Amino acid sequence: MTSFRKRTVQKPIRGTRTSPHTAQVITSSGNPYLDVVIGGGLPMGSICLIEEDRFMTHAKVLAKYFLAEGVISKQEIFLGSLDDIPAEMLRRLPRPLTDQESMEQSEVQALGDGGAENGLRIAWRYNDLPLVNSEHATAKIGHHFNLMEQMDSMMLYNVKTTLWDDSPKHLDIVIDEEFSKSSSPTTPLLEQQPVEDAPPIPGAEIAPQEKIPAQEEENSANNNNNNNNSSSVTSSTKTGSQESQLQVFHNPRYKGLLNDIQQLLRNESFVAGTKNNLCRVCLTSLGSPLWYDEHFGEDLIKFLTLLMASVRSCNSVCLITMPMHLIAKYDASLVPKIRQLVDYAIELESFAGSERETHPAFKEYSGLLHLHKMSAINTLAVHMPETPDLAFKLRRKKFIIEKFHLPPELQESSAKPDNCISGLLSNSNATASLDF
Amino acid sequence: MATSVLLACGLNEQKLPGFIHISEESNVDGSFLISCVLGQRLRISNAGTLLVCLQHHYQHYFNAGMRLGYNTNIFQGKTLGVIDVLSDMAGEGLASKWLTNTEGQTLTEQLVEDIRAQVESNYANRNSYTVLIDNLSILFNLGASKLQVQQFCQDLAALAKERENLTVITKLSNSDIYQLTDNNVAKLGQVRIQVLRLKSGVFREVDGKLLIERVLDEGNYACEETRKEVLYKVNDRNVKVFAPGEIGVKV
Repeated sequence: MTSFRKRTVQKPIRGTRTSPHTAQVITSSGNPYLDVVIGGGLPMGSICLIEEDRFMTHAKVLAKYFLAEGVISKQEIFLGSLDDIPAEMLRRLPRPLTDQESMEQSEVQALGDGGAENGLRIAWRYNDLPLVNSEHATAKIGHHFNLMEQMDSMMLYNVKTTLWDDSPKHLDIVIDEEFSKSSSPTTPLLEQQPVEDAPPIPGAEIAPQEKIPAQEEENSANNNNNNNNSSSVTSSTKTGSQESQLQVFHNPRYKGLLNDIQQLLRNESFVAGTKNNLCRVCLTSLGSPLWYDEHFGEDLIKFLTLLMASVRSCNSVCLITMPMHLIAKYDASLVPKIRQLVDYAIELESFAGSERETHPAFKEYSGLLHLHKMSAINTLAVHMPETPDLAFKLRRKKFIIEKFHLPPELQESSAKPDNCISGLLSNSNATASLDF
Repeated sequence: MATSVLLACGLNEQKLPGFIHISEESNVDGSFLISCVLGQRLRISNAGTLLVCLQHHYQHYFNAGMRLGYNTNIFQGKTLGVIDVLSDMAGEGLASKWLTNTEGQTLTEQLVEDIRAQVESNYANRNSYTVLIDNLSILFNLGASKLQVQQFCQDLAALAKERENLTVITKLSNSDIYQLTDNNVAKLGQVRIQVLRLKSGVFREVDGKLLIERVLDEGNYACEETRKEVLYKVNDRNVKVFAPGEIGVKV
């Protein structure tokens, strides 16, 4: 009897790989430069918080990258937002580059680097040294996208997408090509209100308008019986438990959003430890003024705690964008509490509207990227990037994150960069002595 | 692999003080301490451990433990008991007992009851028993008041006094925000470990600082304390500690 056992290698989930450093399953955030910063990709079960810049443009770009990566990798997507129209956001995802375009792009970049060879006349000995490339985009997983062009809407056919915007008439859109074939009643069918000036989303289930009232009643009645994995709000028939559930959040929007997320994540496709599929949860502008009420802080923290519990327990990753500068004004103590509940907290500090916009030291960059938190999830030690001094550039076609470095020479000697740069490079509590 | 940090914190002994509190400052991660202590307690023969998972679910401690060289799955159900609040809430959603006042009991009361039940069923068979609670700030997030959390910790401290060889270890993150609760809970115990970040910036060789305060003499006039400060670095498979000044700029 031989002791030989055939090794069964399980196929990894689409769009994921095992990190060689931490042995965790990771997936791309959508932006290869961000992947390098966070150690290759987002670990399964992690929550990444993007603290929005003042005008919210750059955070949304990262959210679009995140969603586009999910579409390309055919992972299931949940998109929720009060500030944006989720359907519209899905339609405007960046187009992925083809393999040929990616090769051409890398060739152009290499030529650009090589062109410097003829430029050195005085320090010609440096010609032989390899150039320091601040842009580390080693995309072993993930794709490159072109921000100038939109993704073909036909690509959404292959992706199961759930949208949430708390609209009373437009609750959820389930885009599921195989909905009729699916035996799992996990995604209830709801009616859709067409978005103005936008073509209908391909594959969306749309109920006739005249059936809307009946459909609503039917859906509300069926919610209790339809979904085996539905949240307890819809499946519970006990009045006492329903009342106590209603007390969990003062703002019913949090309850509605959490219910929908948990309902989706309880799908057997996302059971932790299996290799079925991955769910990407994207919440944009969470905690914006549209969420404000008397119990804003309390509800927000509780929501994030329960979201953390749900995301950690299944095959999913979550990306949240929040206007932290507004939340800090509301209640400064909320900021560290929120950061404690996420695994990655990345702040985008845009130069737009500030004096740094015209400063020669920062002319190459669109803003600074601050890593406020990186935590070890399902491992002991956290990956630390090469440097915490990072900056980002929003080019026409891509969003680049690289090491922040000063130009070799500042042209304007009258401009004093010390105030800006010294404040930038040192921490706010920097003292003369080093604390080690 | 975790011996040095446990030695520095005085937690490497078989018999630990009755109540130990770990305070974690904002933006610093002290989860490694829980993993280190858990590994040490599991390795002691016939020592029971109860892990209350509020910050991470059980799988995280398993993976972290594998990095430190121990397998929690072997001990689970035997010397290791787990109350995984996080996984319960994920599985049961808003109907979870931790979110609803079941039978008029608050979250902290239910948790104390569950802990008591586990201790009573397992304590008698063990030489020593350790209750690890990670992390008290989650109780605040779920709606517990300062009074409830304080009462919760006092109930646990009383439980530790009732039974010999029972140790309760609590952790509270964002201790600078919950300063009052942090100080009051720390006063319940003999050992307080503060996990602090480096004030002057980020350093590749050091992750943060541990400040260990220990009450020396227990008795009617117990007021003598020792304080020790060490630096720590969490690596992939171990945790290193350094004395302040040991790490310098290398030329």
